[in-house]
Formats: sequence, structure tokens, C-alpha cells
Amino acid sequence: MSNPLDELAGEYVLGTLPGEQRAEVEQRLQHDAELRAAVDAWEQRLLPLTALAEPVPPSAELWRRIERHTASARTPWWNLLAVWRSLAGAGMVTKLVLAALLLTRPPVLEPSFVVVLVAPQSQAPGWVIQASNDQQIQLIPLGVMDVPGDKALQFWTKGDGWQGPVSLGLVKPGQTLSVPLDQLPPLTQNQLFELTLEDSQGSPTGKPTGPIQAIGRAVKVL
Amino acid sequence: MFDYEACLRACARGEQRALRQLYEQDSSRLLGVALRIVREKALAEDIVHDAFINIWRGAGSFDPSRGSARGWVFSVTRHLALNVVRNHYREVPLGDEYEQVAATDTVEFSTRSGQVHTCLEQLDPTRRTCILHAYVDGFSHSEIARKLDAPLVTVKAWIKRSLAALRECMA
Repeated sequence: MSNPLDELAGEYVLGTLPGEQRAEVEQRLQHDAELRAAVDAWEQRLLPLTALAEPVPPSAELWRRIERHTASARTPWWNLLAVWRSLAGAGMVTKLVLAALLLTRPPVLEPSFVVVLVAPQSQAPGWVIQASNDQQIQLIPLGVMDVPGDKALQFWTKGDGWQGPVSLGLVKPGQTLSVPLDQLPPLTQNQLFELTLEDSQGSPTGKPTGPIQAIGRAVKVL
Repeated sequence: MFDYEACLRACARGEQRALRQLYEQDSSRLLGVALRIVREKALAEDIVHDAFINIWRGAGSFDPSRGSARGWVFSVTRHLALNVVRNHYREVPLGDEYEQVAATDTVEFSTRSGQVHTCLEQLDPTRRTCILHAYVDGFSHSEIARKLDAPLVTVKAWIKRSLAALRECMA
């Protein structure tokens, strides 16, 4: 009597699916109405079990943080803690892609920094940045990303202690891009890079406004 | 009764006071749910923080035909916590302090009303423990297998069958 879709939905809501499968389900939920209905039904069935977790009063600081981040209409992504945490988890993906990259690409200059940009939900690697010196970086696509006709991909970076991200310009899907960094401080370990979906002319505010398509941090390679 | 749907509509209009009311209503419960899964207070607070930001931003796209607003608030929080423990090794190992969880839950839920509790009671106690460890404690299959000292394939089969039984019982 069991059907695979309902089993998948049940284990997703129960929480027993491994990380990759969870990400797959979350992707599918965006367009698969049947799966969504099955998940919604399981959420409702099991919801009363949340009452089994003893309530724990939060610290006074927690509301102040939430208040700060919801005071303006929109919270910048760089204040979202889960984004930073998911980057820490991308380490394994980074290593795999790096290994593949070193095996398959002809050696150019020895890169001193490498960044793997992964999709925030699925953590699927989409782009690699390599820096052969501190002044110029290359953004190399690992595939072709779908971008709606009236939108563009915008490339951003943010170092530790910067006020916010700085635009590195618009990027065409599937094309390698070289970006001079002479307007910015030198590349550093952990420097954040991301691609967001923006209007075709780029973000109207000069800061990221659209959803993150890919994100990663600089890792020094020997 | 707290009106969750009205609260989400107010959040969608940008009324921060509504978010504050939701916080007063449920932050302790949501933190409790997140803490059982991630087992570290600071991390659990980060998850509740992100959940409130997501609720604030997503309130406008909440669709009441898909389920209760209260359920959505809890689901957002639970799935953030689950994503953290599924994508990373647990920073806090499963320790002795959680050994009694299953036993106390069994006692606790039998006194609760609600269909899911009634249906859980009809399951074999070991299988019921699997479901509770998974949903409430965020245990993976292998964590449950270790905890119950049972083979992994057996635990997977128990869970699959328990879900099917629950579904049938609650239909």
C-alpha cells in the first residue's frame, strides 16, 4: 500500500533523510505539487509531536538580534547565520571539486586561492574562482546556469570586516570571466564570494537584492 | 487563542509588532524543538533567529490552503535544525543525558490526547521509540540503530513500516 512518494515525504518530515536527499526534496518541493501535498500532510500528522520537546526560554539577546535584522524591510544575506554555517559544510564539496579540477584542467599558473561557489540549498558546485595572484581572479563555470531573460547574474565579494559586499560586475552564464581586483584590498583567506540573480542592469541599490545562486569562501592552496 | 494566520498577514505587511507577538507566543517552544535536535543552546538560538527571519520574509508567500500557519512556523524551525545536523557531523556527541529520553517520552505521550499519540500507542514500543527519536531528537537512521543496538537495515524497515502504519491509522 505504500507509495514511494509518500515514503519519501514521510521520511523527509520525520527527519531521517540524509543531507543530500533532504536537499533534493527541498528542490523538488518548489515545483512538484504532488510531493508538496504529501509533505504538507505529513507535517500536519506529526506536528503534535513537537509538544514533546520541553520549552526552553531564550536569552534576552535573541529577540534583540531578530529585531535588528527585521527592522529594515529586508535582511541582507550576510547577516543570516545559516548561510555562514552552510559554507562551513561545503568544505567536503570543495575538496572534491578541487581534486577534480586539478586532475582535469591543464595547469595554468599555480593558484594561490581557490573558491568553489555552491548553490545554497543543494550545495551543488556551480562555479570555481581561481586567483593566480592577488590582483586578478578568474571565475570559471562548471556548467551553464539558467538565467531568466530579464535577469542577470551579479558577482559580489566581501572580506572580513567590510561593511557589505562589493560588486565585481555582471556575469554571463557559462563563460569564464577575469576580474581585476585592483580597486579592492588584497584577497584574503575566507573572503566571501557570491552570485545573485538581479535585474538585467544589475542591482539597483548597489548591494545584493536577489536570491543567491552560488556562494563560497576563499581557501588558500599550497 | 493566538491567531497565527492574522499574525503572518501582519508580518507580510511589515508590522514588526506582530513578529514580536509570535516571538512571545512561541520562542520558548521553538527553541525547545531546535535544542532537542542540535543539542547546543547557542546553535539552537541561531536557528530560531534564522527561523524568525525566514518567517518574516516568507510570511507573504504563506499559503493557508497548504496547512496551518502554526504548523508552518514549527516546520520552518525544525527543518532549519535538521539541515544543520544532517549536513554536518554533530558537534555535541550523543551523550548519556539523552539515554532516558525514550522512556520519559513514552510515559509522557501516553497521557496526551491527539490522533498521532493514539496511533503511536498502537505501535510496538521499539518502533515508537524510533519515530520519536527521529522526529523529536533529530536522530538519523544510524544514530537510532546505535542507540537501540539494532542493525541499520532493521531500523530502516521499522521506520518505513511505522510511517505506513501511522498513515493508515490517521487516515
